[in-house]
Amino acid sequence: MPLPSLIPRSRTQAPLLWEIPGIWRAHELAAVKARSTGHMALDALLPGGGWPIGALTELIPLIEGIGEVALLQMSLKRLCDEKRHIVFVHPPYIPYAPALLSAGLLLPRVLWIDAAHDEDAHWAAEQTLREGAAGAVLLWSHAVADRPLRRLQLAAEAGESLAFIYRPVVTLNSASPAALRIVLRPAPAALGVEVLKVRGGRGGAVVLPVQAHV
Amino acid sequence: MLWLCIASPVQEKHALKALAGWAGQFSSCVCLDAERWLLWLEIGSSLRYFGGLKVLLEKVTGGLNALALTTTTGVAPTREAAALLARRPQAPPVVQLDHLQQAIAALPLNELALPPAAIAGLQASGITRIGELLALPRDALARRWGLQMTDYLQRLLGERADPRKPYRAPHTYHRRFDFVEPVQTVEGLLFPLRRILYELQGYLRGRDAALQALDVALRHHDHADTVLTLRTTDPQRDALRLFALLREKLERTQLPGGVMQIKLGVERFVALRDTQLHLWDETERHDASWSDLLDKLRARLGDQAVRRLGLRDDHRPEKAWCVESGAAAAALPPAFPDRPLWLLPPRPIERLPKLLGTPERIEAGWWNDEDSSRDYYIAQTAEGSRWWLYREAATARWFLQGIWA
Repeated sequence: MPLPSLIPRSRTQAPLLWEIPGIWRAHELAAVKARSTGHMALDALLPGGGWPIGALTELIPLIEGIGEVALLQMSLKRLCDEKRHIVFVHPPYIPYAPALLSAGLLLPRVLWIDAAHDEDAHWAAEQTLREGAAGAVLLWSHAVADRPLRRLQLAAEAGESLAFIYRPVVTLNSASPAALRIVLRPAPAALGVEVLKVRGGRGGAVVLPVQAHV
Repeated sequence: MLWLCIASPVQEKHALKALAGWAGQFSSCVCLDAERWLLWLEIGSSLRYFGGLKVLLEKVTGGLNALALTTTTGVAPTREAAALLARRPQAPPVVQLDHLQQAIAALPLNELALPPAAIAGLQASGITRIGELLALPRDALARRWGLQMTDYLQRLLGERADPRKPYRAPHTYHRRFDFVEPVQTVEGLLFPLRRILYELQGYLRGRDAALQALDVALRHHDHADTVLTLRTTDPQRDALRLFALLREKLERTQLPGGVMQIKLGVERFVALRDTQLHLWDETERHDASWSDLLDKLRARLGDQAVRRLGLRDDHRPEKAWCVESGAAAAALPPAFPDRPLWLLPPRPIERLPKLLGTPERIEAGWWNDEDSSRDYYIAQTAEGSRWWLYREAATARWFLQGIWA
């Protein structure tokens, strides 16, 4: 039985390029560890095909209440199914238990960390990421400076969690060390997802049919 | 029988007992002499478990160093001989009874635990070494110096049994440390605390137990005690880990004044969980680091800040959830309607956004005077946010209670 070739078979467009071993296309350069977002259109925009593991993902919703957390629901549920923990750090309101449950997040797997200050919230997120014990960390941050983000990015690299940070709109124009930067905007019965910056990719925008529950 | 003798450098009864508790990790038979400040550990039966005398001695010395105690140890087949050797830093351990006489023959006579008058009398008759004393006929010695002397020599050489009641560590752990001068900073508390935690670790190993709660009281001169309780998610007995958690907690504690005394207590002990020993399994590894993480978070942010969520059987949305202390699984009733992710304390709204779909009527609380009948709507604001609103039937007022994030 012939072994399958390790080099991708020639395609109609550029046969020569594909035949030469050792030539990689730009987006194949670094193998990005990622987990599917559960949305095919979004996965296609992201190197590795999903939310990066061990790197910071920055989410900037233009306004609250547009499905900014619902966007993560499928990947969070899958982590819960794998018995990993989901950590909400310093959310703006009470994470409502019945909503979490109907989104498929088992309550014993969800941790809600309330912090008195932004500084404590960042510290808690950093510790959680560094420990690598949680499947995903969601931090609601008010920080405008990029220094606390750099610390988080380093902590994310040390662990194997999905790391999401929600930031206010005012930070849109400042630089960010996050590997992935996404703006979320309202759309009729949907969520507009615009990839502002992605390490090892080109970015782009999609509109996802994110439903109103979680 | 093989005895290891430790001469306690701290001549204080509490300290000696604490040290005996600590020593329980190396031996199931620990004896103490509070007059001569000596501690003995029967190590003959522990040698195999620890992998030989050399390893055991290294562990004991390492442990004493961690307690910041500089002391020497002596090893011999009898308790009195071990005590004798403990005063000689360079003396090699004597393991066999046959070698004992020879090993102690050259030591000065005044190192024996005999009354000073007897030592002086013997020295006056020209006896300066232990070997010279042992060469004398015993009945002559008994006649001149009494049976006490021959009894002691027999116990020294192992010719006569030397019974002594083993020390039994108390069932709860209480330890205090007094400062000579009041300590003003948390930094100043750390050193004695770490020492105590090392002692506690030895005590826990000796009892083959662990703890989940640790009480610390700091006594002040003219203020009420500062009381802290450290709780851990999983049973713990690692001194350094407990120290790190306690330090985190202390550094966030405001001291009302100088500290005169530290009191540390453990009321309940639990078995050490196996997960800490079987770290190769990925899930268990995650679980173990997960509980370490929870401890760290709670130590700094407080127990209340680290929460699990639970359901409550109540129709009123604001009472249908709770902060859960345990981790019981909960399930929703079938066909439970959608709920928003964020719950808000109800706040009145002035401008009503666009309502979507049909209302959900929720009636509850009529049985305890909190009569409420509400119609819940999903609404969409002009900016595109989805809100969860209700209209109170009695007053026809509108409230915002949730946000669909």
